[in-house]
Amino acid sequence: MGNFLFPVAVFFAAIFTDNILLTNYLGMCSFLAVSKELETSAGLGIAVTFVLAVTTPLNWAVYYLVLVPFQLEYLRFIVFIIIIAAFVQLIEMVIERYSENLYFSLGIFLPLITVNCAILGASLFMVIREYSFITSFFFGLGSGIGWFIAIMAMAGIRNKLRGAKIPIGLEGAGIALIIAGFMAMAFMGFSGMIQIT
Amino acid sequence: MKSQTFYTKRIKPLVFMAVVTIICIVLTSSLYLLTRERVAMNELFFMRRSILDAAGVEHSGDVEGVNSLYESVVKEVGEVYVVGGNTYVKLFKGPGLWGEITILVGFEEDLKTITGVSVFAQNETPGLGARIEEPWFSQQFRGKEGPFSLVEEGTAAAKSEMDAITGATRTSDAFKNIMNRAISESATLKGGQ
Amino acid sequence: MARGMVKKTFLTPLGKDNPVFVQILGICSTLAVTNKLANTMVMVLGVMFTTALSSWTISLFRKQIPSRIRMMVETLVIATYVIIVDIILKAYNPEIWKQLGPYVGLIITNCIVMGRVEAFALQNKPTLSLIDGLASGMGYGYVLLIIAFVRELLGSGTIWGYQVLGSWWTKWAIMVMPPGGFFMLAILIWVVHEGVMKEGKNG
Repeated sequence: MGNFLFPVAVFFAAIFTDNILLTNYLGMCSFLAVSKELETSAGLGIAVTFVLAVTTPLNWAVYYLVLVPFQLEYLRFIVFIIIIAAFVQLIEMVIERYSENLYFSLGIFLPLITVNCAILGASLFMVIREYSFITSFFFGLGSGIGWFIAIMAMAGIRNKLRGAKIPIGLEGAGIALIIAGFMAMAFMGFSGMIQIT
Repeated sequence: MKSQTFYTKRIKPLVFMAVVTIICIVLTSSLYLLTRERVAMNELFFMRRSILDAAGVEHSGDVEGVNSLYESVVKEVGEVYVVGGNTYVKLFKGPGLWGEITILVGFEEDLKTITGVSVFAQNETPGLGARIEEPWFSQQFRGKEGPFSLVEEGTAAAKSEMDAITGATRTSDAFKNIMNRAISESATLKGGQ
Repeated sequence: MARGMVKKTFLTPLGKDNPVFVQILGICSTLAVTNKLANTMVMVLGVMFTTALSSWTISLFRKQIPSRIRMMVETLVIATYVIIVDIILKAYNPEIWKQLGPYVGLIITNCIVMGRVEAFALQNKPTLSLIDGLASGMGYGYVLLIIAFVRELLGSGTIWGYQVLGSWWTKWAIMVMPPGGFFMLAILIWVVHEGVMKEGKNG
């Protein structure tokens, strides 16, 4: 039973208690740059979730079916980043071809994603923690949703702050980081909700 | 003219990419092969040092010291490492917060009193759960018997209490479970199981 | 004149164009390990090594690289250097390697590395690019070392693993936990921006 429930537990842990952005600081660059607008945040969040949910199990397959049998584990950094870049490129081409609307709302974020640490980070965590294929999928999906929630919450708060008086030195990134700190504290409140043992 | 544009447009990038890839792979592969032996030696050294730590044996901490001491005092009986003839050390694994935690637990002759615990592998959060690797955490088990219950960091006193790590409740909980399983299985260690 | 150029290239990323304070770049991979000074030092050295040598390599071949595959080549070169860091750490300092876990690999996606390659190395000579990469890494590094110093001191009462504050010190657990990293960086940025603002007004 423990094995059966493990992927589910990892899924919720990745969203709440161990949010990839708020506890591992992954994906900070685009997080700080994009979270000014609610709409663009949603677009980027969805794109990140989608790419994470696909590339994490994809990298799992490549790692365990190709790299491990040939004892090439040490090449995983190169292989993972190439797979992610290639996948993002592919998605961009497909979207551009078939849906102009989607391309204009989502497509512009895709180039930002290759250099988003969260994507590569999830794949590296997946290897180090020795997840199974199913767990990798849920971990990728959960990390993406967690990232989405974090950036949406941040964008909402920053929207509300627009009229507020902020010390000059704290404007922009400074205040965003302080908000992120409070959010990280709030998310720590979820711990205890999930027990993986 | 036409063939040249075709060359610069299609062939050159492909050839360039291929050459770069080959250079990169040759470089990293040769470095990997050069250091492979050292990495394997490190692994063995870590394992041996963890076994000695779990048995509560003093050692110098460097590679030669640990290896020669290990070879003179440790006997491997099945899955159990018998240290100095009267201490029994075994590897125990269990789920942590993120991945598996592998620890070595040593028991005295009576198979109840713990001589020590050492963490061999873990993937917990750096600075939080990963603090199970710090000496103060693993040394607290020396002389205790368990089964354990968690108390606040720095307050464990009784033989059945262990310090939890502040901010890493679930890692502490997982560690407690592995310890208690080790204790419940300890009676069979003399048979080499 | 060349000398002045070198000096300027070296000093700009350390001061008024610091990648962390001014551009808020590249904090992803390293902020997570700033709760221990020793780990941060190793990560910073890794980033410096990667930034300097990637910039140098790309600059060396900047005229040969076909523009269509530029990003791919850059990624490949960066990834190679990161793997080198990873292998060397694993062989010669396995204890720290184990603690850093996936964060060494994440140097690949550190925005500073790619950023310096794109913004500087593609237009400048190899030696100058090497200096720029090294200085950017250092400018980035000292900020993170300050953060790590404060977080470890307040959070664990230790510096570099050695006990500095006695048992009377109540450890600020929040400092070693994730929110501590956010707050420290925010405060540091605040102090620096406030200082720079005042300087600008006086000048």
